[in-house]
Amino acid sequence: MNWNLFLTELVAGITHGSVYALIALGYSMVYGILKLLNFAHGDVYMVGSFVGFGLVTVFGGSEALSVNVWILLFVMLFCAMLAGGLLGVMIERFAYRRLRAAPRIAPLITALGVSFFLENSAQLILGAQYQSYNSYGWHNGALWASGFTLPSGVHVGLPQVIVVVGAVVLMLGLTVFVRNSQLGKAMRATSFDREAAAMMGIDVDRVIVATFFIGSALAGAAGVFNGLVYQQVWPYMGFQAGLYAFIAAVVGGIGNLPGAVVGGLVIGLAQSFSIGYISSTFSDAIVFAVLIAVMVVRPSGLLGRAAVQKV
Amino acid sequence: MSRVRRVGLVAVAAATAAVAIVASAAAQPAAVAKSTATCKSGVSIGFMGPITGPAASIGDDQLHWAQYFVGIWNKNKHHVKIKLVQGDTQLDPSKGSVVAQQFASNAAIMGVIGPASSSVVEAVAPVLKKAGLAFASGSATRVSLTGGAYTGFFFRDVPNDGVQGPTAAAYMQSDLGVKKGDSVMVVDDQESYSTGLADIVQATLKAKGITVDRESVSQKATDFSSLVAKVGSSTKVVYLPFQLATEAQLFSQQMKAQGKSAVVFGSDGTFDSANFNTPGAYVSFFAPDVTTIAKDAKLVANFKKKFSGGTTPFGAPNFVLAQMYASAATKACKDGKISRAEVRKDLAKVVVRSTILGTPMKFTAKGDVAGAKFHVFKIQADGSYKTVG
Repeated sequence: MNWNLFLTELVAGITHGSVYALIALGYSMVYGILKLLNFAHGDVYMVGSFVGFGLVTVFGGSEALSVNVWILLFVMLFCAMLAGGLLGVMIERFAYRRLRAAPRIAPLITALGVSFFLENSAQLILGAQYQSYNSYGWHNGALWASGFTLPSGVHVGLPQVIVVVGAVVLMLGLTVFVRNSQLGKAMRATSFDREAAAMMGIDVDRVIVATFFIGSALAGAAGVFNGLVYQQVWPYMGFQAGLYAFIAAVVGGIGNLPGAVVGGLVIGLAQSFSIGYISSTFSDAIVFAVLIAVMVVRPSGLLGRAAVQKV
Repeated sequence: MSRVRRVGLVAVAAATAAVAIVASAAAQPAAVAKSTATCKSGVSIGFMGPITGPAASIGDDQLHWAQYFVGIWNKNKHHVKIKLVQGDTQLDPSKGSVVAQQFASNAAIMGVIGPASSSVVEAVAPVLKKAGLAFASGSATRVSLTGGAYTGFFFRDVPNDGVQGPTAAAYMQSDLGVKKGDSVMVVDDQESYSTGLADIVQATLKAKGITVDRESVSQKATDFSSLVAKVGSSTKVVYLPFQLATEAQLFSQQMKAQGKSAVVFGSDGTFDSANFNTPGAYVSFFAPDVTTIAKDAKLVANFKKKFSGGTTPFGAPNFVLAQMYASAATKACKDGKISRAEVRKDLAKVVVRSTILGTPMKFTAKGDVAGAKFHVFKIQADGSYKTVG
């Protein structure tokens, strides 16, 4: 067995899967509360990625960074999460709130409209050109030279470690928040029965706003993580990533938080192993075949029924 | 149902019907358009390209270069005024067909710059030919587009894949030491430009007994690490006929991160020293990079000032096409009137002795670039490009 190939695909799958999982969490949270497929969520991820790119530029550009990498990463994550969260809240306030009582097709179409609006606005404001974080050039390549080496010589770069560890920390933080905080409990109650929650004195509007803020902040973080490892940023990047994250949420069981994480990893691993072992040409077909297979066997997703926490 | 609601429904139904009528009218073949106009109020040229959508980085740049030329041209009060009419194809043949029908039925339009890709050219060609319109692309390179049914209608100012593919394959053998029994990985990005070129390189190398590992990734792919893992120790060259330089850069960086030593060889789509600058890699291109030509420096600086952001190798050829259309329109307008047939005839004869691409430009009888030639460049340690073949 070629262990080098196997471990390389494993690392690639887990890294990509972590980014998908972070985006999928936002899809799942919003669906859990509003039963809305927020197709604009991928574009929030795009905005987060651009915020990170803007900060790299502000701090001197990839070849001449004027700050410590850890400080830069902290600032990028903080600003991207804040920007993503605020954008999510604005989308909810101006596009979705008035449609809560409308037939479900109305907010769905609106979500598509918001997605196109954000993509075209980004192109208008930021230009259509592809931009690059070029993290390979940060401090003369020190970032990628750091990391550790697996058996059979597979090097795992520090950015890949940061993405996986960062995603795990954010996911655990979200789990603890939803399980233990008052707002988290209110989110679970609202997800279970919105009307009953309102009758019990829960401020449903506040819960929905918080859900959009948290889900969108995670997408913003995913945007920065994506730029750190995969470099490229452009106005239409949200569509593809959003599509895969949506598949991840469905595979895991939409509305279920651990399910979103599991789904993200399944899709990430399916993508990388299909490219490595079967065919790069048909990797998309294989990923969608995974989706179909899961839906046929478990229509509610891998963890859809076994959900302990449902937001 | 309340009266207000009924009125609303009727209004929506009426609006829908009106849109349907307008859309179906637009979908009629071009025969409805009058093909002669006066030059007094200016000459309209259609621009057809992916102005929005995933390939907007290319289409937007092409539009900007065409607009840039028109802006400079129109400043001279003695020139026939040129107007650009935009049509967004999103690099989608079906959307391209709709734009073609709109252009065909717009009597003011005398010629078309675009479409950007070969697949869209194939989709729009029958409509534009029927309408008598010339259409000239600055990036569609499939060999079969010229010399066939659309001769005299379709032109391009970039060399076709039949020139570039063999040039790249020959260089790999003569200068990079690829020989019978060696392996080359060819990766296309699933766009017609890329697959066509990859097919030619693959066939040329295979004919010489070289093993080709053909791979394919979406142009929207953001990670190549899974594919890079398949680059074996016997792989001498990885050929990347990509449309996006940033993708070739990421591929090269991920190869380096995984300790792969194969040489990366990009096509003209990756010819962009700002975004693809991995030392030791090679790129083929049909002309020097406008951003590196000394006499173009002021022009390029003004372009970058006017249209914030960078530029791609696909942009500048559209400046030249606009220039050629302006020449053709000037000739056609000598009697104060212009027709699509005149523009077609005159465009085929236009000769520009000095272009911003650094080479003269005229079309062959088939509609290709006369004297087309590709050059090979090696990326230096500082990221600059040096001609090596």
